[in-house]
Amino acid sequence: MKRAEKPESGGIDKVLLVIVFLLVITGLVILYSTSSYNGRIKFGDSFYYLKKQIFATTLGIAGMYAVAKTDYHVWAKLAVPGYILAIVLCIAVMLFGDEYNGSKRWLSLGPFSFQPSEYVKVALIVFLAWLVTRNAKKIGKLSILFRIMLFALPVVGLVGASNLSTAVIILGIAVILIFTASPKYGQFIWMAVTGTGFMAVFLGLESYRLERIAIWQNPEKYEKGYQTLQGLYAIGSGGLFGKGLGSSIQKLGFVPEAQNDMIFSIICEELGLVGAVLVILLFFLLIWRFFVIASHAPDLFGALIAAGAMGHMMIQVILNIAVVTNTIPNTGITLPFISYGGTSVVFLLVEMGLVFSVASW
Amino acid sequence: MKNKTYNKKKILIVFLAATVMILGLIGRLCYLMILDAEYYQKKAEDLHEREREIKAARGEIVDRNGKVLATNKTVCTVSVIHSQIEDPEAVIRALSSTLELEESEVRKKVEKVSSMERIKTNVEKETGDKIREMNLAGVKVDEDFKRYYPYEELASKVLGFTGGDNQGIIGLEVKYEDYLKGENGKILSTTDARGVELEGIAEDRIEPSAGNTLQISIDYNIQKYAQQMAQKVMEEKQADKVAIILMNPQNGEIYAMVNWPEFNLNEPFELPEGVSASSEEEKQELLNQMWRNGCINDTYEPGSTFKIITSSACLEEGVVDLDDTFVCPGYKIVEDRRIRCHKVGGHGAETFVEGVQNSCNPVFMEIGLRLGAERFCDYFEQFGLMEKTGVDLPGEAGTIMHRLEDIGEVELATMTFGQSFQVTPVQMAATVSSLINGGKRVTPHFAVSVQDGESGRTIKTFSDKQGKRIVSEETSKTMQKILESVVSEGSGKNAYIEGYSIGGKTATSQTLPRSANKYISSFIGFAPAEDPQVLGMCVIYDPQGIYYGGTIAAPVVREIFDDVLPYLGIEKEE
Repeated sequence: MKRAEKPESGGIDKVLLVIVFLLVITGLVILYSTSSYNGRIKFGDSFYYLKKQIFATTLGIAGMYAVAKTDYHVWAKLAVPGYILAIVLCIAVMLFGDEYNGSKRWLSLGPFSFQPSEYVKVALIVFLAWLVTRNAKKIGKLSILFRIMLFALPVVGLVGASNLSTAVIILGIAVILIFTASPKYGQFIWMAVTGTGFMAVFLGLESYRLERIAIWQNPEKYEKGYQTLQGLYAIGSGGLFGKGLGSSIQKLGFVPEAQNDMIFSIICEELGLVGAVLVILLFFLLIWRFFVIASHAPDLFGALIAAGAMGHMMIQVILNIAVVTNTIPNTGITLPFISYGGTSVVFLLVEMGLVFSVASW
Repeated sequence: MKNKTYNKKKILIVFLAATVMILGLIGRLCYLMILDAEYYQKKAEDLHEREREIKAARGEIVDRNGKVLATNKTVCTVSVIHSQIEDPEAVIRALSSTLELEESEVRKKVEKVSSMERIKTNVEKETGDKIREMNLAGVKVDEDFKRYYPYEELASKVLGFTGGDNQGIIGLEVKYEDYLKGENGKILSTTDARGVELEGIAEDRIEPSAGNTLQISIDYNIQKYAQQMAQKVMEEKQADKVAIILMNPQNGEIYAMVNWPEFNLNEPFELPEGVSASSEEEKQELLNQMWRNGCINDTYEPGSTFKIITSSACLEEGVVDLDDTFVCPGYKIVEDRRIRCHKVGGHGAETFVEGVQNSCNPVFMEIGLRLGAERFCDYFEQFGLMEKTGVDLPGEAGTIMHRLEDIGEVELATMTFGQSFQVTPVQMAATVSSLINGGKRVTPHFAVSVQDGESGRTIKTFSDKQGKRIVSEETSKTMQKILESVVSEGSGKNAYIEGYSIGGKTATSQTLPRSANKYISSFIGFAPAEDPQVLGMCVIYDPQGIYYGGTIAAPVVREIFDDVLPYLGIEKEE
C-alpha cells in the first residue's frame, strides 16, 4: 500500500516476464508445427502463418513494453474514450466488416486486417475497472450493480451479434470485476441463477443451439460433430508422451484449420498428456501470477485491471480446453498466445503490459 | 480507492475457482488420453490408413493338353478420393455417363466423406483409360484382373464363372476355389486428409500370391466337337436341350460334358437372346436355369439304356442265361396291367441276347420278376445307383427311387426298362462305365492336377480312385459282347462305324406327364467294345418329329466316335 503513494517505477515483475515469454515462444513453436501443412497447401508457404504471427508478436511486444512503462493510472482518463471507440469499432465491423468462415469479424486497414473484438476485451477491462472503482462505495447496492452491467451490455450485444463466444468472455470479465469489487456474495448467487435461466431460454429459442448440445453429447452421430470428433481423435492419439513435435497426422487437414481453435488437440497429439499438462500449467502459472499481482496491487483500480486480465485469461483458456476436450458444447474460442491470430496476440501482449504496469507502480 | 481485504478475498475465490476448473480439465485430459486413448487411436488410424488391396491373379484352368480355358485379363477399378475432388458435379456427370451408372448412385459415393470410395469394379481397360485421360481431380483408376474365358461358351456349365470379387460362383470355379483364388496382397499407407500418401511413414506391403493352375480332364477338341454335334442335333430336332458326356470308362476322367444351350462365360449375367425378365427375381430365376448343368443337377427317367443295368444284375445273379428263350406277343400282363412292348406286333420268339438287341420290354419284365424286388434293389445299391457319383461339381442331384416296401410287381416291371424312377445323366454314364470296364466302379471327375501358378510345378495330383468291384469280370465281359451285338446287329446299328467294335444301348422314354407326349431320346455307347477306352452318351430332350433314340441319338455318338476314336489313338481293326 505504501507504493501507491510513490509513483516512481518499481522494476519489472520478472516471474511474469518469464512466464509470458515462455508462453509466447511455446505458442510460436506449436503454431509453426500446426500451421505449416495448411500454409503449404493454401499459400504454398509453410511459414505463411508463422511469419504473420511473428510480425504481430513483435508489434505486441513493443506495445507491451510501452504500456508497461506507462503508469496505469493514465488509462483511467482514457477509459471513457476507449469505451466509446470500442462501440464505434463494433458498429463499424457490423457495417464494413469482412466475412471469413461465415462471420463478420474483421476490419481491413490497408494490407492489415484487424479484429475489433480483441481490442474490445482490453478496452472493457480498463473501462469497467475505472467505472467500478468510481462506484466502489455503493457497489453493494443492486441498482449500482445493474447500472454498471448496463454499460457492459451494449458492447456484449454488439460483439455477440457476430461472435457469441467473445461476448460470453466479455460478460464473464464484467461479472468477475463486479464480484471482486463488491463486498457481498448473495446477489452473485442470484445472478448465477438468473444467468443460468437466461441461458436455458436462449438455447431453447433457436433449435440449432440445442443441436449443438446433441452434437456435444454424441459427436459421432452428427456430421457437424466432425471438428469435435477429429479433435478427440488427435487427443486420443497422443497417449502419454505424444508422437513428437511435428508428427501430428490430424493436423494434415483432418482437424480443419488446426492452427485456430482446435490447436490444443494437436498439442495433445504431438506432445502427449505430459506436454499438454505442461502447457496448462504454464497458463496456470500465468493466472497465479495475475492473482498475486491483483492481491498486491496498490489500489482498487490496479487490482481490478489485474483481476480483469486474470478473468480474461482463465475464461478463455478454460473454455478453449473444455471445448477441445468436448467437455462443453462447441463454441469458437481461441487459446491465448498459441492459436493463430494477429490481433489477438497484439492485444494480449498489451494487456500483459497493463498488468506489468500494475505490478511495478 | 484502496484495494481492500474483501477485494483480495474475492480475487482469491476467483483464482480458486479457476484452479478447480483447470484441475477438472486435466482430469478430463487424463481420461481421454489414457482410458479412451485406444478407442480414439484406432479410429484415427482407420481414418489415416488407406488400405489398398492388390488382387491376386486367379489360377488358370487348362485342359488335359494344357490349353487355357479360363484365364485373367486386365480391367480397371474406378474410385474417388473425397478430399481431392475439386469439381464434384463434373465428377458425378463424367463417371455416371462413362460407367453407365445411375447418377444418384454415383452422387452418394462421391459426396460421402471417406478417404476412398469405390465406384465400379471390372471396368474395361479402354473405359478405364478414357476416365484416366479426363484427368479429373480425385478420381483414381486402378488396374486389376478379371476372369476371362477365351472360348466363351465352351463347357460353360462345367467351368463356371466368377463374381465381382473374383470368387467362383458356379462350376469348377467354385469347387476348386481354394486352389484357384490365390491370396490377395495389401498396401497400407498413411494419408493426409486429402488422401495424399505421406512420405517418410513406412507403408506396409503384403505381396499377393497368384492362384494355382487347375488342369482338368476336359479335352478342348473333343469338347468343341461334341458341342458342335449337340448344337447341330438340337437345331435339326428342334429339341429343348441336348446333353453329351464323353468319358474314360476306365478311370472316370470326363473328356467332354456339353449341356447345349451353353452360355457366354464372359457375360454370365446376360440372359439369352429373346428372353427378358420383368423383375429382378424372375431374372435371377432365369439366370439360374441358364447356368444349370443338366448332366449333374437334373434327373430323368433313363428308359431302355437302363436295360444294361438290369441285364448285368440278372446275369450276375444267374437268373438268366444268354440263350434262354422268350416269347414276346407285344405286351406282358403283370398283375392286372397289360404293359406294352414298343413293337406293337411283338418280337415273337427270341433269345435273351436277341431280346437285348431288340430292346424288348417283355423280356426284361420277365427276368426282372425272376430277380425279384429285393434283389433288384440290392443290385441297385451295389452298382452305386443309390449314392451320388461324387463328380467334382457342386449341386449333384441324387437318385429318385421307390422304397423297397412300395415296389409291387408293376413297379418292378417298369423299373427293369428304366421307368418310374430317376437318375442323373452322369450317374448313368458312370454306372454303365463301371459295368463294362471290367466291373469296377469309377468316379466321374474333371480335376487332374494342380500346378503352382508361377513355377508350374505340380503340387497335387487327384488320384483316379480305384473303385470297388460292383460286378464280376465275367459279367462285365458278357455285357461288352451283348452290347456290341446291339450296335452291330440290333437297335443301336446307327452307331456302327466300319472297323470299330462299338457297344451301346439306345433309349426312348416318355417324360412325365405321359399325356404331354414329350420324349427323351438317348444313347450310351463305348469303344472298343472288348476293351472300352471311351464312353459316349447323348441325351436329347423333347425332340420334334422322330424321337427314337436309335434314330436320332445313336448317330450323334457315331459321328463323335468317328472323329474322337482316331483322335484318341484308337486304331481301326482290320
